[in-house]
Amino acid sequence: MNEAIQIPREDRSSSGETAPATPLHALMAAVGASFVWRQEAGWKAYAGTTVMVLLTLGLGLALRQYLGSLNIALVFLTAVLGSAIAYGLWPSLFASLVSVFAYNFFFLPPLYTTTIADPQNVIAMASFVIVAVIVSNLTSRVRSQAIAARQRAQETEQLYLFSRKLSAAVTLDDLLWATAYQIALMLKVRVVLLLGRGGEPVLSASYPPEARLPEADLAAARWCWSNNRPAGRDCEAHPEASRLFLPMHTGRGVVAVIGLAADRPGALLSADQRRLLEALSDQTALAIERVHLARDVDRARLVAETDRLRTALLTSISHDLRTPLASILGSATSLKTQPEALDEAAKREMISTIQEEAERLNRFIGNLLDMTRLESGAIVPRSSMADLSEIVGSALERASRILEQHRIAVRLPPDLPMLRLDVVLFEQVLFNLLDNAAKYTPAGSVIDLQARQANGAVELRIIDEGEGIPAADLERIFDKFYRVHAADRRRVGTGLGLAICRGFVEAMGGHIEAGNRADGPGAVFTLTLPVPREGPPIAEAAP
Amino acid sequence: MSARTPLRMLVVDDEPAIRRFLKTSLTAQGHQVIEVEDGEPALEAMRRSPADVVILDLGLPGLDGFEVIRRLREKGSTVPIIVLSSRTDERGKVEALDLGADDYLTKPFGVDELHARVRAALRHRLQQQGERPIFRSGDLTVDLVRRLVSVRGEEVRLSPREYDILRLLVAHAGKVLTHRFILKEVWGGETDVQYLRVYIRSLRQKIEADPERPRHILTETGVGYRLRAPDWDAVATQSGS
Repeated sequence: MNEAIQIPREDRSSSGETAPATPLHALMAAVGASFVWRQEAGWKAYAGTTVMVLLTLGLGLALRQYLGSLNIALVFLTAVLGSAIAYGLWPSLFASLVSVFAYNFFFLPPLYTTTIADPQNVIAMASFVIVAVIVSNLTSRVRSQAIAARQRAQETEQLYLFSRKLSAAVTLDDLLWATAYQIALMLKVRVVLLLGRGGEPVLSASYPPEARLPEADLAAARWCWSNNRPAGRDCEAHPEASRLFLPMHTGRGVVAVIGLAADRPGALLSADQRRLLEALSDQTALAIERVHLARDVDRARLVAETDRLRTALLTSISHDLRTPLASILGSATSLKTQPEALDEAAKREMISTIQEEAERLNRFIGNLLDMTRLESGAIVPRSSMADLSEIVGSALERASRILEQHRIAVRLPPDLPMLRLDVVLFEQVLFNLLDNAAKYTPAGSVIDLQARQANGAVELRIIDEGEGIPAADLERIFDKFYRVHAADRRRVGTGLGLAICRGFVEAMGGHIEAGNRADGPGAVFTLTLPVPREGPPIAEAAP
Repeated sequence: MSARTPLRMLVVDDEPAIRRFLKTSLTAQGHQVIEVEDGEPALEAMRRSPADVVILDLGLPGLDGFEVIRRLREKGSTVPIIVLSSRTDERGKVEALDLGADDYLTKPFGVDELHARVRAALRHRLQQQGERPIFRSGDLTVDLVRRLVSVRGEEVRLSPREYDILRLLVAHAGKVLTHRFILKEVWGGETDVQYLRVYIRSLRQKIEADPERPRHILTETGVGYRLRAPDWDAVATQSGS
């Protein structure tokens, strides 16, 4: 058997809590723990055994005048027992041999000779030998059972922890690294893991880290991958490789190849280790498959989502582009072909229609452009210290034609701090919110813009007097192409305005939220913008 | 308002539809329009007989608008140049203005804005020849000789720096002024734009009836400021783009 598995300190303490199977196991474990825990300790075991026998000899000599020479034999048995517990069968048989000699030499007359005078003592000697051998045997067997039980408990614990680690691993990289590390730790070997990429096993993780594999090892790994059988060191296939490669497979086939190497001579793995490895690699294979499946599901969902968005985009574009174009074309052709049939008022009406619809088209195309820029990552805020009231003013100015039918109330405290914003993007955000409010609220209603400073941020609210937003839509209202459907009619909108608002605001480090008024019907959009620390307060810079 | 004296207008755009619309509209105002579709022919046309105003698209296929401005200014031409640019191109607008363009229009634009820009650009040229001592626009009066500012007949006290900014805006009334230009003229060097914003805010609080919805000092987002010119009342500002 190879060197025993070394368990890291923290794991040792946790496995120590597992309940031993019997009281005797408990004793074994307790005694065993106080010695260096080796199954085969070489000369140290014999040296230790010799010390134990010498101690019992000393004890025997001390107790000689109180105990009969026959009883002294029992004292020597404690050395045999101790050696059996601490070191196993062979050291305890050695203890028996030395004890018999010492007992005979020091206690059986004639003293200090190896001869035995009394036939009665011959019987005693013989029974001592028999008892000692039996004690050695039994004790060491119990001992190895205790060790085996302890090992199994530790292995179970390790496997359990490992499976928890695997199920917690989200990415394939985490998973592979955890596996390589665990196997290296438990089997005291160097581990490489190869995953299939493009039909070839490719080095994906290793512990300790390896940059690349030698060609012989790669060939063995490939053979193992395609034949689903071990290859490389100690195997028939590719014995020239420095590593042993084993397939990791699930019901669906080989998912990975694991390569093992160790610097020690002899067989790489014991039967126990091979069994352990199988358990580890089964768990890993399942986990790898789980990650693969999750990825496949994600990919399928993404494809479906993209398709859905594309359809929505086409529907939206064809509707939103064609409606204003239809009005423009209709008005323009009327003006061109039958100018004499139209009175002045009708002509003006048509000309206004052309202008308004062209402006609407322009807004829509602007939104499409903004959305495209957002999605392609082309939006890089060019922030500077900006005056919120100025941007509010320019957004109101730009939206003045859309807001002709509404009353606007602006309430901004005079001591608002300067904010770090991209003024162009932020004006667009406000414009879209005003456009949205104008669209969803009746003519003559009030749109209220309020700001306040709280908790190191400025909150800007756009409050309207419309129907408000249904609770179920509050979360989704910022989604692309999402429109709140009113009971009676479909609102004219692109379903992009608010999505752009969120994209822009977040790009500037702010936050946007939709809600409803507490004091009656109406929607509330809240923009939260952090107050930068570096800027001078307005009072300082002001004249 | 129709032009009292017919002007020669050079329109430089590669889109025939835009050229047609500009020509129709400007000819109706009594101007003479020369059309070219790229930068080289534009410079050539200016060499042959300089125009009074140049309307220049920035995104030309050959020699682009920026280069045309640069070369015209290099040769010492002071012809008013109004550039046409796209909505998302604030940097392009600022660059063109810094190179020496007088104003800009964002495509798509209405013809009323075009006329307002042309008027503002020409007024500035005329004003340089003889600056009018008193500026009046709506409820705002600025007496450039006595350095007096009043709103609705009441005198407003401005700090020297606020007055410098206002005087600069008055001198270029109707024309956009970039942040950099104002900072250079008033502070005389590189100062952060946030200081300008702070001063504009306090200036607005003094001269605007509603500082949140200014009628005099207009914000050109991402570019600069523009003082509304006296004859702008009939002019709709750009909306909805």
